[in-house]
Amino acid sequence: MTCTIDALFARRAAAYPDRIAVHGDDGRLTYAELDAQAGRLAHLLAESGVRPGDVVAVCAGRSAQSIVMLLAVLKAGAAYLGLDSKQPAARRDLILRDASVRVVLADKSSATGLGGEDRTVIVPGEEQDAARERPPARPTLGSGSDSDSDRTAYVAYTSGSTGVPKGVCIPHRAVLRLVVGADFISMDSTDTFLHFAPVAFDASTLEIWGALLNGGTLAVAPSGDLSLTELLRFVRDERISVMWLTAGLFHRAVDQGLTDLPHLRHLLAGGDALSVAHVNRAVAALPHTAVTNGYGPTENTTFTTTHTMREPVDSATVPIGRPVSGTGVLVLDDRLRPVPDGEPGELYATGEGLAHGYLDRPGITAERFVANPYADVPGRRMYRTGDLVRRQADGSLEFIGRGDGQVKIRGFRIETGEVVAALTSLPGVSRAEVVAQRRQSGDRRLIAYVVGAEGAKPSALEIRRRLTEILPDYAVPSLVRTVDELPLTANGKVDRAALERRDTAERPEVNADHRAPEGHLETAVAGMWSDHLGFDGIGADDDFFELGGHSLMAVAIIAELHREFGVEISPIDFYLDPSPAGLARSVEKAGVTP
Amino acid sequence: MTNPFDHPEGRFQVLLNGQGQHSLWPVFAEVPAGWTVVHPAGSRDACLAYVETHWTDLRPTAPALASSPASEGTRSA
Repeated sequence: MTCTIDALFARRAAAYPDRIAVHGDDGRLTYAELDAQAGRLAHLLAESGVRPGDVVAVCAGRSAQSIVMLLAVLKAGAAYLGLDSKQPAARRDLILRDASVRVVLADKSSATGLGGEDRTVIVPGEEQDAARERPPARPTLGSGSDSDSDRTAYVAYTSGSTGVPKGVCIPHRAVLRLVVGADFISMDSTDTFLHFAPVAFDASTLEIWGALLNGGTLAVAPSGDLSLTELLRFVRDERISVMWLTAGLFHRAVDQGLTDLPHLRHLLAGGDALSVAHVNRAVAALPHTAVTNGYGPTENTTFTTTHTMREPVDSATVPIGRPVSGTGVLVLDDRLRPVPDGEPGELYATGEGLAHGYLDRPGITAERFVANPYADVPGRRMYRTGDLVRRQADGSLEFIGRGDGQVKIRGFRIETGEVVAALTSLPGVSRAEVVAQRRQSGDRRLIAYVVGAEGAKPSALEIRRRLTEILPDYAVPSLVRTVDELPLTANGKVDRAALERRDTAERPEVNADHRAPEGHLETAVAGMWSDHLGFDGIGADDDFFELGGHSLMAVAIIAELHREFGVEISPIDFYLDPSPAGLARSVEKAGVTP
Repeated sequence: MTNPFDHPEGRFQVLLNGQGQHSLWPVFAEVPAGWTVVHPAGSRDACLAYVETHWTDLRPTAPALASSPASEGTRSA
């Protein structure tokens, strides 16, 4: 089927004119009303100079009107670019200039600071009243050509590894392959989809067009910052049947308790690795709900593979599953040969979901979207995801980690994903992230950030000791920091950049000459101090207080020594000889073999 | 595992398909069906520089699926 989003929507609107298409804080619209309002706004866009192929930015809070704006842009033949109103103005401006945006649609509260030279900001509420008095709408505009599925539907900016954002150009065809006749989820006109994802984030593609191209209803969550409790109440009250949550939010929602959601038919989560424990608790708490792990880079339109669970998972990780309809996957080695099942390889995506590429960046496009040597149809491309996966015996894929999460520590190659997998396999660990921080000296060190399982406060020392049993020593993080929560980006992914900036302290100059710890007691104590102080390289004779330690930290370390070695060290002993060597002697005196 | 497209020192060529799309391609791998070499073996940087100057419109020049001849012009105001 060759078609566009707007053409298919027009057909749905003709079929179900009186059904509620979208409702939000600002009111509700039937399919006929949404179609008519978007049609009028599309005319206004055309009169403002928007031409097919242009990029129109949309900057608005969550509302029914924001959906009118998106549809209007498509009806005008243009591509929408969702702008996060909470982004720093400088980044927004960078994106607007990068995409050569000349027209911005905004709501009243987001409209300031978006204009510029050669750039018009339209706030529909006001302008549309004027448009309504114009002669009747020309029916040619917005009726949508069925043939133009290669047209770009939206541009989604992702932050590249170089830090410069890139605009991913997604064609209409790629969106239709996700939401029309998809095999990973049944969607129909009885469904109510939650709209909570920012339009700048491509999970919104599933939410919005999943609802509107299947004749369902889009329930827009109240605008503004919503607490998790408020969100879940909304889901319950509005009888949401399909909901997407980012991995971070999903974990928190499970921790808080996913109960009393009888209308929720399908819960999808992803954007980052899901924890097995949380998925299993969700499956148990929601017996009538299919729980899906959705995996995929923006460049292959929201989902590449999915794994749906109705039973608890018994594997070490939650599988990312199988390709969605219209998409294929290849697992290749570093010579572009398929790897045998069970072996790690890099994941390549093929098929209808592929983006055209990165807006005005042919070079990067040509290195990421490359010729597919295994295509059934000659001349097709594949997208290299940069993710390492393994195909399991049952055909589903297991996510191992980022291919470019590879780092060198002391000359050894390490996949940070592998260290994360080792950490989360330990009892008492719920989630973990590992970053390879570059130090002032230029070399890197691994830092692990660990969230304890429910109620557990894992001991960093214990974690490090267990890791030495399963990983080579160079892959054992220099620091293990236990944290209450991993920081998340606006898109709900673990904010690795924030973690890399977090613990940057290095061992200060102290009186003692640096002597490397000897024996397992000194090593254990020095490691324990590192985890509390936030830097490594602590010498056996270093003074705890000179290093910046304080009494509360000392109390925590004494408690950890008790857990680890079963000894009681008095604070006085600690204070009298506050060095790893001194503390090791105290532990030894209490009966532990050095 | 280093991705074969990321080797800064690797030898590459540039391929072109019927839709005007370009692809960096390592010389060790056979050229896939439906692609022709438009820039011979060279450094990664030289290949990417070629792509930057020769691929001006990312949109496929011919629709991948069946198409009708409707032009965009008929829909603009």
